[in-house]
Amino acid sequence: MEEGGAAVREDRWAWLVRMLAGGGAGLLAALIFVPYFMDTRLVNPVMCLLCVALGVAAGLATLPFADDGKSLLLRSGAHFAVTSALFVLLMAQFYGWWWEGLLLLEGMLALLYALIWLGRWIGWYMEVMQLRTLLGLDAGPSPLKWRETLPYAPFVLLLCDGLPLLLRWAEHEIQRGSILELPVLSALILPFVLLPAGGFFAGVSLGKRQGVCPLYPLACFVCYLPMLSLLSTAELFHGFLAAVPALAGNVLGWMYRRAVPKRGDA
Amino acid sequence: MEVEIKVEPGRQEPKIVILAGEESGELRRLAEELSRLALSPVPVSRGEDKLLLPQGEFLRFYTDGKGVSAQTAQEVFTVRLRLYELEERLDQTRFVRISNSEIINLDRVTAVDLSLAGSICMTLDGAVKAYVSRRYMKKIKEVLNGGRRSRGERG
Repeated sequence: MEEGGAAVREDRWAWLVRMLAGGGAGLLAALIFVPYFMDTRLVNPVMCLLCVALGVAAGLATLPFADDGKSLLLRSGAHFAVTSALFVLLMAQFYGWWWEGLLLLEGMLALLYALIWLGRWIGWYMEVMQLRTLLGLDAGPSPLKWRETLPYAPFVLLLCDGLPLLLRWAEHEIQRGSILELPVLSALILPFVLLPAGGFFAGVSLGKRQGVCPLYPLACFVCYLPMLSLLSTAELFHGFLAAVPALAGNVLGWMYRRAVPKRGDA
Repeated sequence: MEVEIKVEPGRQEPKIVILAGEESGELRRLAEELSRLALSPVPVSRGEDKLLLPQGEFLRFYTDGKGVSAQTAQEVFTVRLRLYELEERLDQTRFVRISNSEIINLDRVTAVDLSLAGSICMTLDGAVKAYVSRRYMKKIKEVLNGGRRSRGERG
């Protein structure tokens, strides 16, 4: 019990120190940046208050991660709700109530949160791998199964980068000298047949071998992005036409593996 | 080495005395090993029955609001001792506190998993689930890095 009490006292101190440090940093930021951005020598007290509050929220950002399970989700959710509310209010002071812009900024904040969460989760996963090794158990798959996904990277590069370039080149060659240029291969067959089918079937294969690998559909999407600047026929939604079937195939392969275990697994 | 056993009627726990000409590292290790082997069994209850079970039998000790329970692969017993008393009494290279309410036998851990919400779940003997509190992670790693490694080296 004493140990628990000491831990609570330590927590309270940590909260207080971080709140003060965050609030101080927020105040400093307000005094330096607000006059600069608003092009005035006066510091708006509302903005100043919001900066301090946002600084306090940022100071407390790591504390929800000290817990786990339900408590972590609740604390983290509450922290995000408070931070995003303060952030919107502060941005509205700068740019006015321009909803589209504010939503975009909120989306960026949510993405930042998701990235921090992912980073923290990978840290925990490394700890679990270490525990497994110390206990003499199999260390298990790599974080987010990046190592298991790696053998599929050449295929993803071929499907999402090599194939579009090849098809576009073939179209040019076939239609050379022709007045009418119809990009049937690169604007129709590639995005609506080859990308979904290739992503899906390779996803099934990966899912059957390694289970759900979240980096695989992400790699399909990211690898297609350079095509947006290289090919005039490429569209952003083509990336989703590769990534979504890739995810579906991967999940299906994983479900198949669960339903029909390999011989010798049992 | 000469080994002698003397029976003393009425003695509760065995006592081992090593007689030697001088102290050495080997003797200290032998003493450590013997004290580990001779760790006292844990008194548990099953209804009206009182039993003494060897420590290695237990998967975990936990509190469930009513009192302390001890779980083996076969059944769950009631324990009179508090968790902190058990912690002092149990083999500290084998048993470790994983949360405010649970002590587990590390030798019986068959899997360690992480949930999306960051909960670490240990599976004991392939069936019993125990959840690790993050506050105890450092201590668990210290036990695994320290005591168990030196035990492994000697073995």
